[in-house]
Amino acid sequence: MTTPTLDRCEEALGRLARGDMSAFEEIVKEHQSMVFSIAYHYLHDRSLADDAAQDVFLRLYQNLASIVSSKHLVFWLRKVACQRAVDMARRLPKAPPVSLEDINEPATESADADPLLSEGLRRMVASLPKDARAVVILRYQEELELAEIARILDIPLNTVKSRLERSLGILREKLQRWSGGVAR
Amino acid sequence: MNPWEESLREALRRKAAPEGFADRVLDRIRELPVREKRPWFRAFIARPALRWAAAVLCLAVVVSVAYRGQQERQRRQGEIARMQVKQALRIASVKLNAARRMVQQVNQGTAQNRL
Repeated sequence: MTTPTLDRCEEALGRLARGDMSAFEEIVKEHQSMVFSIAYHYLHDRSLADDAAQDVFLRLYQNLASIVSSKHLVFWLRKVACQRAVDMARRLPKAPPVSLEDINEPATESADADPLLSEGLRRMVASLPKDARAVVILRYQEELELAEIARILDIPLNTVKSRLERSLGILREKLQRWSGGVAR
Repeated sequence: MNPWEESLREALRRKAAPEGFADRVLDRIRELPVREKRPWFRAFIARPALRWAAAVLCLAVVVSVAYRGQQERQRRQGEIARMQVKQALRIASVKLNAARRMVQQVNQGTAQNRL
């Protein structure tokens, strides 16, 4: 997160503390992409991710008094977005394992370098074990350090490391099988 | 980051939120039941750091009061002991004076008898 963004958030938080509700809208617009993307990459469903992200901002509104700074706000949003996505995933019926042959060409035009590979990877991430998924998302979407991920998920650093290694192993294996299949 | 991880980073790049997302959030907030204004101290104790600070302060006050109470008890006990010692000394002094007078009287009587 860049310093001007943090400054803008700090200023919006100040205005919000003085009762200016338009500042809350600014905060939502500033962070909606981050929160929605965490939920989307976790759930791999735009509609569910939309609901989850809305819930996160509703909870933020109800807990504004506990937010002390713009950095704390970002930390809080990441933490609650992960928690909400985990809750929602828990309530979903168990999804069948992702078959890589099921990955179709993306329907919409994408900015990804290789849209087929990106969609495949997103599906593979969404099929990772629930406890490891958030670690991968925070590491590669938010590009966070492992210690920061441990703080957000409230788990020991070594657990983060082992979950990440395990997840990368699974993803690498699936990708190799997939690329082998594509090559055949 | 190796090329493979770079592909993962690319795949998990942030997505734009759906159109009208912020408006839907604000609509849901407007639908929330209006809460009664919380007393100022509720907002104060809602912050974890302040909650800890308040707990530490309370503990410090309790320990301080207990310590002061203990000191006050000891001071009072000391005061009572001091009074008791003074009383004992006063009684001992009266008794010694009486004994000294009796000895003097006995000594005077013996001296007169000799004369």
